[in-house]
Amino acid sequence: MKKTHIPKLDDFIGGGIPEGSSILFCAVPGVECEAFGYQILNGIIEDGHKGFIFTNVSEPNDIIYEFSQYGWNLEKYLEEEKAFFVDGSSNFIGVPPMGKYSINELSQIEGIVLNAIDDVSNGVGVINNLSTLIDYLEEDKIIEILDKWNKRAKANNTILVYIFTKWGYEQKLIDTIKNSVDSVVSLTSIEERVIIGQGFMVTSASWTRPQNNMVLFFVLQPGGVKIYIPKILVTGPYNAGKSSFVKSISKKSVSVERMALEKFPTTIAMDIGHVDHTGFVADIFGTPGQERFDLMLDVLSKEAVGAFIIVDSSAPQTFARAKEMINKTHAKAIPKIIVANKQDMPGALSTEQIREAMKLDKNIPIIPTTITENTGVEEALDALLTLLYGDTK
Amino acid sequence: MIKTIESGIPGFDELTLSEITEGGIPGKSSTLIYGPPKTGKSIFCNQFTYQGLLNLEPCLYVTTDHGLKQVQNNMMEFQWFIQNYIQNQSLYIIDGISQLSGKKIENTNNIKSSFVRNPSDMMVKIGIGTRFVYKKSNHFRSTLDSLNTLFAFNPQQMVIRVLNAYLRRITEAGGTCIIAYTEGIIDPNTENMLKSLFDNTIKLDGQNIQIKYHFEEEEEVTNYRSTYKITDKGIVVKKV
Amino acid sequence: MIPCIESGIPEFDELTRSNSGTGGIPENSSTLIYGPSKTGKSIFNYQFTYHGLSHDEPCLYITTDQGLKQLEGNMFDFQIPIEKYIAEKTLYVIDTTSNISEGMKTKTETIVSSHINNPTDIMVKVGSGVKYICKNNPRFRSVLDSTTTLLAYNDNMLILRVLKAYLMRVNEAGGTPIITYTENTADTMVETMLKSMVDNIIKLDGKTLTVEAMKGIGKRSSQYQITTHGIIF
Repeated sequence: MKKTHIPKLDDFIGGGIPEGSSILFCAVPGVECEAFGYQILNGIIEDGHKGFIFTNVSEPNDIIYEFSQYGWNLEKYLEEEKAFFVDGSSNFIGVPPMGKYSINELSQIEGIVLNAIDDVSNGVGVINNLSTLIDYLEEDKIIEILDKWNKRAKANNTILVYIFTKWGYEQKLIDTIKNSVDSVVSLTSIEERVIIGQGFMVTSASWTRPQNNMVLFFVLQPGGVKIYIPKILVTGPYNAGKSSFVKSISKKSVSVERMALEKFPTTIAMDIGHVDHTGFVADIFGTPGQERFDLMLDVLSKEAVGAFIIVDSSAPQTFARAKEMINKTHAKAIPKIIVANKQDMPGALSTEQIREAMKLDKNIPIIPTTITENTGVEEALDALLTLLYGDTK
Repeated sequence: MIKTIESGIPGFDELTLSEITEGGIPGKSSTLIYGPPKTGKSIFCNQFTYQGLLNLEPCLYVTTDHGLKQVQNNMMEFQWFIQNYIQNQSLYIIDGISQLSGKKIENTNNIKSSFVRNPSDMMVKIGIGTRFVYKKSNHFRSTLDSLNTLFAFNPQQMVIRVLNAYLRRITEAGGTCIIAYTEGIIDPNTENMLKSLFDNTIKLDGQNIQIKYHFEEEEEVTNYRSTYKITDKGIVVKKV
Repeated sequence: MIPCIESGIPEFDELTRSNSGTGGIPENSSTLIYGPSKTGKSIFNYQFTYHGLSHDEPCLYITTDQGLKQLEGNMFDFQIPIEKYIAEKTLYVIDTTSNISEGMKTKTETIVSSHINNPTDIMVKVGSGVKYICKNNPRFRSVLDSTTTLLAYNDNMLILRVLKAYLMRVNEAGGTPIITYTENTADTMVETMLKSMVDNIIKLDGKTLTVEAMKGIGKRSSQYQITTHGIIF
């Protein structure tokens, strides 16, 4: 078993990747994926094993530079012969190849990578990028090659890491590729018109039953792949029920040393909670509803990936204020749920009446709730998670 | 009335004025600028970009034929100065080619280096860039000049896939994008597929400009034709 | 205003004169000269190269059609002596043919050999050539004559990528590159791609020189002849 050195990932797959296994990082276009491969390679070499990078997308020199941006010294590993390149890029654009192996024509790739796998027994090989390979070779051929590589890797105890960008290929091809490796990690984006967050999730692992939690990450230079606890905003007019909502979705109170918290002045009265719902973790921040605190909304709402807008269904006169708060917290541009609270009150408007009164887009879910009785709260949470991550169940 | 944005090209907005539009480039749509080599496609792109900046619409500019320095020089020839817009960060640039000349581009908040040969990396930068300009204003423009080098460095199918992802990214964010392409550098079937990915096409052949708009609500394609000249103020379309 | 460098053919500079008064080849831009074979494309380059050299602008010359000796001879036929500049090391030659036909006689710091079927090696030599030449004068010229031979010996798409890299390098270093191409020797897609990669396009058909595209000016043309003094309008 070898550690991937990607935070959280090792926990999800039973401690690490068994020697000789293959793992595919399957990314939606626009989500950072190369860093995963490089971080695993760097970690495994640091642990005392060998590794290689097959590249057909950038020249070795650019990859060395990229590593240095992350704060990792690939150059040293190359000198010490702990790492080497299979350069499938340089000849393609007419620059001198660099590395132990270089590829002149496509037909050589299969054999040369097999040699490279032999050279790093008990180590790791990173294939960057599988998508580009697919476009040059026949689809059947690529599956055949993957099988050969994976077999050889198994025999040599070499871990193979594939970097794959899910451009518009046919689903059948994607499925076949996923089936030909031991483990698949999906890298997806959280979007509301633009990408506002990136997440990874283990979708399969042959050696264990993986935990299929979605974890949000970002890639830092220096630093590499880092996990972050997403922040979810709870906002709405004064007295709509924000505090009770935060309390009712929070399983336990949050520890103060959480990184995300350091930015916030703790002297201001606000509601902080922590959600742990079907494997999904998030910090919850309730914003004050009074207008005199409006200046804070901007600060609080930075980096939030989703929002609950709490409205008092029986007080339509506060709807304008609710809309104003959506604007002030920039919640327009992030996934959000309208929590139609106080459905038990006389004169409470139905969700459709609220949609009409607030002129809300039909895509924004409105969930009827009575927070004090804990009805609808779970549904609201599920609705936001579905918006954020799609239907992952 | 179909919303349009100012093209920045003298005569163009008048030409495309009709009962259903105000004239200009249809907002929140994608447009392919194509034609033989050296007919002013890049100039069109630059003019469109510069007009956006003047109108305080931020722009995501993906350059793959010329390095950033050369783009700046090319624009300077027409007295379009973009340095200020780079400084105030209303222009976000992805330089996908300078690396080829052996030059390392210093990455900043709004200048990112990538490489045409690595579409996955370009798409990551495009994702970040879209978010960056969208946060400034949801009325933003996006320019990609051009597909030529992408086709020289990647299989044709790959470029089409990347283009699909790019167009989706920009249009979902509500941006208006134009993309330049030199006609005749890929096989005719792929070229037809390429054209079909766009809402609108504009053909420049050195003399004539031929505009085809496909508005969302309309079934028929709307055509406009005229002639144009390249002057020291950029492209000027003749009034009809 | 677009600054130009003199081409070495006064009538050409006259033909390309813009309103702002300058004519010639726009400095630091890239140019393609094309047309049928034997229409004077190389001669244009000889004059372009010599004019630069005699005005203290060094030149990086990549020859793929003829060896250095032959090049010297051909230039001499048009009364263009280049020994002096070879000796002064302001003319840097990458000779990609001599190894095939004859043993290279004089290999020096600025006379280097490469192989027509090894574009990677050519690019390495181009890299060190550009470095050497722009060290003394950032204003320099570069000629690649011709791309036709490169295309004939190698994968076309690879050559297009290499040419792109070559043009980018010379431009980045401040130089003004010219490449030549014999019409109809590669398929039309490659030809179109080639035209799309440069800033200026000049066509020579044996009778008429046409500036099909040039920064700052529209299409222009003129009749020309080839004499012992080179191209004359």
